[in-house]
Amino acid sequence: MPNVLRADGITVKFGGVTAVNNVSLSLSSGEILGLIGPNGAGKTTLFNAVTGFAPMHSGRITLLDKDITALPAFKRTRLGFGRTFQTERPFEELTVLENVLVAAFLTAKRRSEAERLAMSVLEQVGLADRAHQPALDLNLARRRRLELAKALAVKPKVIFLDEIMAGLNPPALREMIAFVRSLSAQGLAVLMVEHIMEAIIELSDHVIVLASGEKIAEGTPQQVTSNERVIEAYLGTD
Amino acid sequence: MTKHLIGLGVLLAVGMAYPAIFPNNLTIAVSVLLFAGWATSWDLLGGWNGQVSLGHASFVGLGAYFVAIGQSQFGLAPWWTMAMATAVAAVLAYFWGWLTFRLRGPYFSLSTIAVAEILRLVAINEEWLSGGATGVFIATLPEPFGIDLFSRTAQFYMALAFATVVISTVIVISRARFGYQLRAVREDEDSAMAAGIDPTATKLKAFMLSAALTSIGGGIYGIVLAFIEPHVIFALLLSVQIALTAIIGGRGTIWGPAVGAIVLIGAGEMFRTTFAEANMLIYGILILVVVLFVPRGIVGELARRHIRRLYAKRAQG
Repeated sequence: MPNVLRADGITVKFGGVTAVNNVSLSLSSGEILGLIGPNGAGKTTLFNAVTGFAPMHSGRITLLDKDITALPAFKRTRLGFGRTFQTERPFEELTVLENVLVAAFLTAKRRSEAERLAMSVLEQVGLADRAHQPALDLNLARRRRLELAKALAVKPKVIFLDEIMAGLNPPALREMIAFVRSLSAQGLAVLMVEHIMEAIIELSDHVIVLASGEKIAEGTPQQVTSNERVIEAYLGTD
Repeated sequence: MTKHLIGLGVLLAVGMAYPAIFPNNLTIAVSVLLFAGWATSWDLLGGWNGQVSLGHASFVGLGAYFVAIGQSQFGLAPWWTMAMATAVAAVLAYFWGWLTFRLRGPYFSLSTIAVAEILRLVAINEEWLSGGATGVFIATLPEPFGIDLFSRTAQFYMALAFATVVISTVIVISRARFGYQLRAVREDEDSAMAAGIDPTATKLKAFMLSAALTSIGGGIYGIVLAFIEPHVIFALLLSVQIALTAIIGGRGTIWGPAVGAIVLIGAGEMFRTTFAEANMLIYGILILVVVLFVPRGIVGELARRHIRRLYAKRAQG
C-alpha cells in the first residue's frame, strides 16, 4: 500500500537538549499508527514537529510524495492534515457548531455548504444535539469529541490524535475506540499518541515506542509489549 | 440576521429624520456617528480579531489630512482624496502589521501608539505640505449637485452614510468565512492553524480593512473640522477614545461600538455642558463600571445573557 505520510530522521532540539532524535515513521491510508512511551519521551514533541507546530532541527516530511518539510502548520492542514490538541482548545466564545464551521470553511466556500459539512461531522461524533451550545459549557468527553469534529471537518487524509482517550470513563473509552476504528475503516491514516494501552493494543496496526527521544522499539502491539527494552523503559531496571 | 437588518433600518430611518427634528443638535450627532463608524471599524481588528490598536487616530488623521491638503494645496475634491487616503491607510496598516504581528501579547498594541506619534511628528515637521504645527485650513469645497459640504446637515448625512456602510460591512463579515477566521485567530492561534487558517494573513487583512474604513470617517471629520491641527488629530486621546467606545459598547459585537458611541459621546457631551471639565471624570467612572460589572461591554453582556437564556430554554424543552 502506498505511503500517505513519511517522516524521515526527525530531530528536534530545545537549546542543548535533544527532545527527539532521528525518528522515522510512515503511514498508509487506513493504517493506525500508535506512538507510545513514558512521560517525557518526546511523543508530543514528535507529533508537533510532524504537524508543523514545533520547529524541527533536521528531518524530512512528505505527504503523498510532496515534500512539506518547510511548510507552516496551516499549509499542512490545507494539504490534508487534521489534528487534535492534548488539552482541548475549543474557540470558547463560539458555539459548538461555529467551532466546527471554522474548520469546515477550509473546503466549503459558501456558508450553507460549510454548515452542512459541520452538521454532518457533528452527527458523526454525536454532538449534533449540542450544536448551538456555547463550546465553553461542554464537559470533558464532549470537548474531546468537539476536538475530533474540528479535526475531521478539514477533511484530512491523515489525522493526528493527541491523547484523546485520556481521562475518559470506560463507556466513553469504548465509544472512542470504536470511533477511531471507524475512521481508519473510512480510509483515513491515523497517528495517535496514547497512554491508554488498551486502546493502543486494540487499535494499532503498528506501534512505535519512544524513550528519551529515541525510537527504542517498533512493530505490532504484541511485539512491542513483549519487548524487553520497552518493559525496561516503562518499569525501570533493578 | 433579520434583527441586524431591522437595526440598520432603524438607524437609517432615525438618521434620515433626525436633522428635521433636531436641527440644533447636529454637531453632537455628527460626533456620535463618526465615533460609531470608527469604533465599529476598530472593532473589526480589536474585537472580532482580538488585536487591540491604540493608534487608530493615525487613520483618522490620514483621512483628514488627505482631504485638507488635497483641497487646499492641489484643488482635489474630497472623494478623490478619501479614496487615496483609504489606499494609503491600508498600505500603512499592512506595513505596520507585517512588522509587529509576529509579536504575541501586548506588543502590537504598544507599537500602534508609535504610529500616530510618528505621523504627528511628520505633520509638524513637513511644513511645506501639512502647514506644520499650525495646521491646514479648508477654505473652499466643491459643491456636488449643489450640496454645500460646509453645512452641518450635509456633514450629518455623510457621517450617517459612513456609520451605515461600516456597520453593514461588519454584518456581512460576521456571517462569512472571514468573520469566523477573525474569531478563530482571536480565540486561539494554534487551534486556528489546525483549521488551516494563516493567523498573520488574517490579522493583516483585518488591520488593513479596519484602517481603510477608519480613514473614510477621518476624511469626513476633516471636512467637519475644516481646520486640522496635528496635535488634535493624531492625539493619543483620540485613539484611546475610539478603542474605549468599542470596549464599553461591547467588543466583537455588531452593535456594541455604535451603542458605545451613543453612551460615551452622548453622555460626554451632556456632562461637558453641565460639568465642563468633569466629562473626563464621567469617562473614568464609565470605564470602571464596565470593567467591574460588564467586562464584555454593554451589548456583549446582553447578547451573552440572551444566548444563555435561549439555550436554557431549549435544554429544558
